[in-house]
Amino acid sequence: MNDKKLQELKNDYMNTRIPDELEFTVQKALKEGDKMARKQNMGRKWAGAAVASLLLFTSVLNTSPSVAQALSNVPIITKIVDVLTFQEYHVNEENYKANIKVPEVKGLSNQTLENSLNIKYLEENKKLYQDFIKDIEALKSSDSGGHLGVDSGYEIKTDNDQILSIGRWVVKTAGSAAETIKYDTIDKQNEILITLPSLFKDDKYIKVISENIKKQMREQMQTDTGKIYWVSGTGTDEELFTEPFASIARNQNFYINNSGKLVISFDEYEVAPGCMGVVEFTIPSELISEILVSNEYIK
Amino acid sequence: MGKTKPQQLLIDYIISNQENYYRLAYSYVKNRNDALDIVHDSICKAMTTRHTPHKPEEIKPWFYRVVVNTALDFLRKQKSFGLVGEDALELYNSAEDTYEDLDLSKALDSLSPNYRSIIVLRYFEDLKIEDIAAILGENVNTIKTRLYSALKKLRLHLDNEREEV
Repeated sequence: MNDKKLQELKNDYMNTRIPDELEFTVQKALKEGDKMARKQNMGRKWAGAAVASLLLFTSVLNTSPSVAQALSNVPIITKIVDVLTFQEYHVNEENYKANIKVPEVKGLSNQTLENSLNIKYLEENKKLYQDFIKDIEALKSSDSGGHLGVDSGYEIKTDNDQILSIGRWVVKTAGSAAETIKYDTIDKQNEILITLPSLFKDDKYIKVISENIKKQMREQMQTDTGKIYWVSGTGTDEELFTEPFASIARNQNFYINNSGKLVISFDEYEVAPGCMGVVEFTIPSELISEILVSNEYIK
Repeated sequence: MGKTKPQQLLIDYIISNQENYYRLAYSYVKNRNDALDIVHDSICKAMTTRHTPHKPEEIKPWFYRVVVNTALDFLRKQKSFGLVGEDALELYNSAEDTYEDLDLSKALDSLSPNYRSIIVLRYFEDLKIEDIAAILGENVNTIKTRLYSALKKLRLHLDNEREEV
């Protein structure tokens, strides 16, 4: 191999025709990338706050004797349990918009459970509103301008004879949006709040479910090139840039769907890039049947 | 929201070197549209990662690494679907042509992406062995060994061609 040949090869390479669209493609990608990056920053900040408030609530529930006692009361008649909009917060300024809906659970005879849920929902949304006002003021005083928005509301994921799963979602907008969603799942017959650890005999579920989710992530990425998760062992360079998903949290967000399957939910940016949004994984029931306390809820 | 300094460096680099990394992407996929896709995806990835290099001289090898990985990813997926790029097909069809530079580029294309990367980065992009090692995620000695055998293969291939003609 002499230098002349290499030089020829190099000339060849350097003569690669540059398409006219290149400039446009680069500009477009820069804009999209910039948007995604901002969203990511916002999302990360927000995910932290959401996790913190959820932890706070569970610890209150776990340590308060009156709550615990109320949870053990088994009522004889199941009433119709409803979820209504209790209160709304609005901000409507030119650059700042908030639209916050507070859900209220009604019809549980277990008043303590009902109250604790409703107080939680109200507190959560009040905080959301107050934080938003603070953010606006900070933005106004820094004189940097820009748009801010917050939207929150709720959706009923499951409502059958036994299970009521309420998801409360929050979308924070700063240029672009980041979504988080939190669930409460109630056993309507026994009127108790179902937590993830309470479903299982011991903490083994964390590992079993995490491994299954990783498997599902890899499978989905293999069959659908449009899907991206931050998971190890896929050979993509996503791995270089982000810490791969290791494990679900002990109190990972979940709900039980209408066919009695456990669904694990992750906020936007928790385990995947923003374009994937909020992601969910349905856990095959046969995989966890051994470690469940009972198969009353999950079938 | 102002941009942090490393990010601004990256954006400047991306804007002023688009032809260079387009060529690099093209050398892998041999197809205009796919190369544009790889350019697009690489920029998106680079913009959204948390660890942007801070020193200007680190940006090129770092960004090339993103491009190379994106291109290799693409080829891997394409392989599983059994697709071949337009130009790659054309190249195979025109095997009877005897233009010398075509033989040369055919020889280059006959190398596996691993070997080809090294030739492209070392001789066409004039990168240092250390940078190539960083881009391809290998150690310096591996790169040296591979460069040597890539050159050997290339020469072997060209010699064979000549004997056939």
